[in-house]
Amino acid sequence: MTDALLETKAVAKSYGSVVALRSVDLTVQPGEIHALLGANGAGKSTLVKILSGVIAPDSGTISVNGRSVTMRRPPEALKAGLATVYQDPALVPDLTIAQNLTLTAIDEDAVRSRLTAMGLGRLDFDAQIRDLPLEVLRLLDLARALAHDPQLLLLDEITAALPSDQAEHVFGIMQEWKEKGRSVLFITHRLAEVLSLCDQATILRDGRTVAQVEPRQSGERGLVTPMLGEVAAELEAATSRVISQEAPINLATADLYSGGKVNGISFELRAGEILGIAALEGQGQDRLFELLSGDRRPDRGEVIVNGSPLRARSPYDAIRRGVVLVPSDRVLALLPKRSVRENLAIPLYNRVQRWLGLVGDEDTRTNKAIERLSIDTRAHRQVRRLSGGNQQKVVIGRWLANGFRTLLCFDPTRGIDIHTKRQIYDLLKEVADTGASVLVYTSELPEIPLLCDRVLVIYNGRIVHEQDAANATEEVLLSAAHGLEESA
Amino acid sequence: MTAVVRRRALNLRRHGWSIGVWLLLAVLIGWYVLLIPRFGSFQIASIIKNSLPLVYLAIGQAVIVITGGIDLGAGAMLVLANSASATLMQDQPFLVTILIGFGIILGAAALNGFVGWIINVSRVPDIVVTLATSFIYSGLALMILPGPGGGTSAGFRILFTGSDDGTGTSFGFSLGMLLVPVVIAAFFMRRSRTGLSLYATGSDLNAAYLSGVDIRRAKVIGYAFGGAMAGLAGLATVAITGSGDPRFSIGANATLNSVAAIVLGGVALTGGIGSVVGAVAAAIIVFFLSPILSAMGIDPNTAQVVQGSLIVVVMMIAGLLALRRRRAK
Repeated sequence: MTDALLETKAVAKSYGSVVALRSVDLTVQPGEIHALLGANGAGKSTLVKILSGVIAPDSGTISVNGRSVTMRRPPEALKAGLATVYQDPALVPDLTIAQNLTLTAIDEDAVRSRLTAMGLGRLDFDAQIRDLPLEVLRLLDLARALAHDPQLLLLDEITAALPSDQAEHVFGIMQEWKEKGRSVLFITHRLAEVLSLCDQATILRDGRTVAQVEPRQSGERGLVTPMLGEVAAELEAATSRVISQEAPINLATADLYSGGKVNGISFELRAGEILGIAALEGQGQDRLFELLSGDRRPDRGEVIVNGSPLRARSPYDAIRRGVVLVPSDRVLALLPKRSVRENLAIPLYNRVQRWLGLVGDEDTRTNKAIERLSIDTRAHRQVRRLSGGNQQKVVIGRWLANGFRTLLCFDPTRGIDIHTKRQIYDLLKEVADTGASVLVYTSELPEIPLLCDRVLVIYNGRIVHEQDAANATEEVLLSAAHGLEESA
Repeated sequence: MTAVVRRRALNLRRHGWSIGVWLLLAVLIGWYVLLIPRFGSFQIASIIKNSLPLVYLAIGQAVIVITGGIDLGAGAMLVLANSASATLMQDQPFLVTILIGFGIILGAAALNGFVGWIINVSRVPDIVVTLATSFIYSGLALMILPGPGGGTSAGFRILFTGSDDGTGTSFGFSLGMLLVPVVIAAFFMRRSRTGLSLYATGSDLNAAYLSGVDIRRAKVIGYAFGGAMAGLAGLATVAITGSGDPRFSIGANATLNSVAAIVLGGVALTGGIGSVVGAVAAAIIVFFLSPILSAMGIDPNTAQVVQGSLIVVVMMIAGLLALRRRRAK
C-alpha cells in the first residue's frame, strides 16, 4: 500500500486552558477529495491553521507522503506541498494584485491563466485589493494557491461567498486536482457539496476525530449523526409559553438586504416572545444583528421598531427606541476593571436628567437589577474577576436597569457552564414574561427548544426554515442550517 | 532577493494625495516669490539645504509608519548623530569625514534596528519603546558633546550646502543630496520585494504573515532604514551649521515635525498607506511655512498656530474625501 498523501496522528493544541484540539487523526490519500466536517467549535479552523503552518501543534505528528514534517511558518507548509485558501483571503489590502503576487514570489502569468479559466481573465492586476469584491479575492487566492502547484489543496469555506457559477469553477478545479492524482481537503458547511463531490469525509467533534466515512454511502444522516454526538440527555419538557397573536409587534424587519450577507430577511417578533435564530457560522447572522442593533444601516428594507421604522445612525438611536444588544464578546461590552455596580449603571449615565440632578433613582434601579441577577458575588467587585457566566449576566442586567422593549442576544451562552446557562435561560424567560421581546442567535442548537418559543433558520442570508421551537429537533435544524431544505 | 516589479502607469486616484501635496508646495513657492522683494539662487539654495534634515527625517518616519510603527526617537537620533559626527569630524580631512559619515549612518541604522528588535521581542507598543529610546539617544548625545561645539571639513559642508561656510548661492549639491535619498527610498519601498513586505506588514499583519512575509524582519528593516535616515539628517545639520549641538529641544521638535510631515504627506498612521514621495513634499512644506509666515510679517509664535491649523484643515479635507469615497462605494 502506498503512503498517504497527508497523515496526522493525535494532533493536539491548547490555548492556555482552552483545549482547541484534543486528538485529531486525519488521513488523506492521493487522488481524493476529502471533506473535513464538524459543528461550530469542533476544531476545524485550528486544524487548518496547523496544516498551513500558522500555528504549531502542541503534540502529534504530521506527515506528507510518508515523511514527517514540521511547519513553523506558512512558507514551510507551502514547501511541504500544502497550499491553503483561507476563509478570509490572505491578500494585503493596501497593495495591488501585482504587488501581492510579487510579495509571494509568484509568476503573474501562471495566476493570470488560472484566472482566465475561472472567467476572470480581464482582472486588472493594478487594482488595489481593498477595492475588489470578496468573491474575486477568494478566486484570486485560489489561483495563487494553485500557482504553487501543491500536493494538497486546502479549501476553507471557499464556496461560502461565491455565486453558484463561480462555485462551479471551484468544483471543476477540485476534480482536476483529483484527476492529477493530487488531493483536496475541503472544509464546508454545505453538506450537499460534500455528498456530491467528496470521496471521504473526516468528522471532528470537540477537538477529536470521531468518524471517517464515505459520504456517497453514508448519506446525509451518516454525516450529521457523528457531528452531533450524544443528544443532550437533559432535554427537559420545554415549558410551553403561549404567545398571544394580539400581542404588539415590538420588532420587525421588512425585506432586509445588506452587502450580500443579508438577502431579504423579514420576520416579526411579538411582545413576550423569545425567537431563536439558528445558523452555521457566516450565514449573515452577524450582519443581521448589526442591522437590528443600529450599528449599520441596511442597503434595502427596513427595521421596524414598535410600528415605526428605525433609522439609526448608531446603536445609541436603537437603544433609545428600546432595542438593546448583548454581544457575543462579553469583554467588549463591559468595563472589566470597574465594579459590577458601575457596569450596570453605564447606560444610566447617558441620561440628561442625571447631569441636571433631577432624577436620583440610579441607585435604586441598579440595586433592583443586582437583586434580580443573583450574581453570586458582591456588587463592588471588579467585573473581570467574575466568571464568564456572571459577566454575561451583568451585560443583560445592565439593560434590566435601563429598561428596554427588545433584547438582542448574540450567542449569549458561548463558553458558559451548564448551571449558569440555565440561569440565563430563566432570566431571559423572565424578561419575556414581563412583555419584552427577545431575539437569540445561538451556535448551540440544543438550546433552541430549551429557551425559545419559535425558531428561524438562516442560510446564506435568507430564512430557510421556521417552526415552533418546542418540536425543533437538532437534526431538523442542522439539516436546514446546511441548506438541505431550500424551501421552507 | 529584490525582484524588480514592472513599471506601472501612474494611477491618478492612488497617487492623488501625493500630487496634491506637490501642487500645494508649488503654490506656496509661487506665493513666496511674490511676497519677498528679491527671489534668486540664494533663496533657492537656502530653502533646499535647510529643509534637508526634515526631509530625511520624514523619509525615515514614513518608512517606519508605513511598516506599522512610529519612531518618537527620530529627532533624538538626529541630535545624537549630529553630536557624534561633529565631535569625530572636527579637524579631519574630507575623506575621513566622509568615512565617518558612512559610519554614523550605519551605526544609526544598527542602533534603530535593535530598537525594532526590542519591540518585536518585548511586544511593548512602538510608541512607548521609541519614547524611551528618545531619552536614551538624547542622553548619549550629551555624553558625547556636553555643549555646542565640534566641527567638520569644508568639503563635507560643500557636499550638503554647496559652499564651505554654508551660505553660498549654488544649490546643485543640495538638490542632489535631496533627490538621491528620495529616489533610493521611493524605489526601495515601491519596487523591491522587501519594500513591499514593509507595506504588507503595516497594512495587514495577518495577511502579510500568511503571504509568507517575515513580519519581525520587516519591522527591524523599517526601523533600521528610519535610523539611517535620521543619522543622515544629523550629518546634514552638521554640514549646515558647521558644528554640533546636543540640545534636547531640537530633537523633540524635529520628531514632531517629521510626524506632522508624513501625516500631511498622506501616510496613514495606521500603517500600509502612503508614499515616501508625498512625505517629502510635505516635509518641505512644513519647513517652508516659517519663512513664508515671517515674510508675511507674522510673529513666530503665531506662525506655530498657523502651522498646526493648516495640518488640521488638510487632514479634515482628507477625512472628508475618504468618507465620500466610501459612501460612493
